[in-house]
Amino acid sequence: MNFDLTEDQREIKRTARDFLAARYPPETIRAIALDGRPDPHWDAIVELGWPDVAELGIVELAVVAEELGYSLAPSPLPAHWAAKLLHPELGGRGTVAQSDEGSDGDPETSSTTVSDGALTGVKIAVPNADVADTLIVTAEGGRHFAVAASDVTVEPARALDATRLLFTVRLDGAPGYELSGDFGHAWHAIAVMAAAESVGVAARVTQTTVDYAKERKQFGRAIGSYQAVSHACAQMFLESEGARSVTYWAAWALDHDPDTAYMAANCANAYASDAAVNVARSALQVHGGIGFTWEHDLHLFFKRAEANAHAYGDARWHREQVAAALL
Amino acid sequence: MDLTLSPAEEEFRDTLRAWIAENHPGREPEGDEASFQFRRDWQRKLNERGWAGLTWPTEYGGAGATQIEQAILFEEFARSRAPQMANVLGLTMGGPTVIAHGTDAQKERFLAPILSAEEMWCQGFSEPESGSDLASLKTRAVLQGDEYVVTGQKVWTTFAHRSKWCMLLARTNQDAPKHRGLTYFLMDMEQPGVEVRPLVQITGEAEFNELFIEDARIPVENVVGGVDNGWRVAITTLMHERAGLAFALQARVQVALSELADELKGTTDPVIRQRFAQIAIEANVLRLLAYRGLTTAMKSGEPGPEGSLGKWMWADINQALTTLAMDVKGPSAQLVDDKWTYRFLRARANSIEGGTTEILKNIVAERVLGLPRG
Repeated sequence: MNFDLTEDQREIKRTARDFLAARYPPETIRAIALDGRPDPHWDAIVELGWPDVAELGIVELAVVAEELGYSLAPSPLPAHWAAKLLHPELGGRGTVAQSDEGSDGDPETSSTTVSDGALTGVKIAVPNADVADTLIVTAEGGRHFAVAASDVTVEPARALDATRLLFTVRLDGAPGYELSGDFGHAWHAIAVMAAAESVGVAARVTQTTVDYAKERKQFGRAIGSYQAVSHACAQMFLESEGARSVTYWAAWALDHDPDTAYMAANCANAYASDAAVNVARSALQVHGGIGFTWEHDLHLFFKRAEANAHAYGDARWHREQVAAALL
Repeated sequence: MDLTLSPAEEEFRDTLRAWIAENHPGREPEGDEASFQFRRDWQRKLNERGWAGLTWPTEYGGAGATQIEQAILFEEFARSRAPQMANVLGLTMGGPTVIAHGTDAQKERFLAPILSAEEMWCQGFSEPESGSDLASLKTRAVLQGDEYVVTGQKVWTTFAHRSKWCMLLARTNQDAPKHRGLTYFLMDMEQPGVEVRPLVQITGEAEFNELFIEDARIPVENVVGGVDNGWRVAITTLMHERAGLAFALQARVQVALSELADELKGTTDPVIRQRFAQIAIEANVLRLLAYRGLTTAMKSGEPGPEGSLGKWMWADINQALTTLAMDVKGPSAQLVDDKWTYRFLRARANSIEGGTTEILKNIVAERVLGLPRG
């Protein structure tokens, strides 16, 4: 029984923290987010070996995902991971097209139709489709297809979280190569990656908010000395640490304990999604007016937390999976 | 990272599980006296096996087990719905305090009767005027010859009516700052200067007592950890209590959760399903925080902030759980039942007893996050 990361995992964490902090200072993040330029550091990430999911355990992926959230890096890496987890033989770069236009939020049902291996439908909020060679597309009947990006129409969408470029993908009889197998492990791993990103967002926002509460003075005292503020900070810490605990449990279980892995992944995504949103919301309140400005970076984290909570099943859907398992 | 048990821990769990299956005393009888005897018998049985003081060093009658084995014991107890041991405060607070801060003579005198439940222990910390601000307490101990004469009032003293010894925090120095004038005593409850009155709580039961102390006598050799050093002694005890407690509490939440799940099986109400799932998820988070706390405690030798987080979170979860159980009862919620009514009422104290949630938030804000004191 040991809840600590191994030395190797800590090394990955340190590398990721340093690498991402150096490559993605706020100016770079803003340039990418506001100008819509693609991420310039993909080649360096490939050199680090991070896109190669087969070489890393789920815990190691979660470590990097947490740092992606912490740094708010606008990297297409999570989208590529998701594609590789669903389709391990994928060559080139990938992304996942899951949500159908007008979806009620159940990620397991799709209205995209299949006829003689040709797919028709409209997928929304597809991350980083501009740099993908292949899209993994979900379709009716729980079927999964690999579709060449050149066979679909990719249109930029207005993303709430501008640091993650989203696209609308139109399939009009696009030829698909059907994938086979059980996708359960992959989808739960993807949900845990999203949770890990939320953990990173929550941890970063908690830290910067506590720092601010120590510096900012009103009525002659640091605002963090008022319990209305300090208790809000304590709550942020509780939820951040709770989210981290449940997320690493899920990541570990996906690698080592198949009996509890899916339940753990649902718990992780539900809790971490809510935690990041709660933490970011509370952080905005503690920051007061300055946190509401475009100039301050807080809104970027706030939007990442909110958007991320709705990718790959939202907290409500994951909670229902937990209820279904227990009731 | 490795969340599996080692082969030795698995063996301990299997041995324990088999032993409980063979020795489980069945359902606890109703009534204060009967239930007390039942729990005392259970503790004695465990003590014969060396498990009453599982983590105590073997030289003091314990099993010298690890915190993880302690956690396994709590989980197996909860799983099998085994009764609690009678002398819970002696086992989790009094004994560990004597082991950590006591003299050899104190260890010789006090430890064995705690394990055998021969002498019960209670805790005299809180006072009517000193709840969260514990260090402001007013009970006075004045040295006269080779004994202290104590006068004051204590409240929320669980098990006082059955106890032989009271872990008493009293002021020995009126001039020192409030945290530095307190001493930790072991007070004999069986003397004329100590009066115990039951305190009836909102459940209608009298689980707690008030303690009226007038010219009670405590010999100097019953000071633990040095005169005027009582705050430090009490705080280490409280921290250890919270770290270990988080585990026991989470195990009990898992049991209550499975009972509630049995009652809610098949419900289609999405609101109820969502609320139940949220509680189940948070119960998992609590369990994992407790595991992380164990990792911290085993590496550093000191309980980490997880103890405070766990106790705080447990209170929230248990209140939410018992509230949900009431909410699904329909009109029969107006009537007292033999299960949830008591738990629903009792849970209100969870965010007050053993450190209010507000105090725990202060601890996290000040000691973990480094925010300035208000």
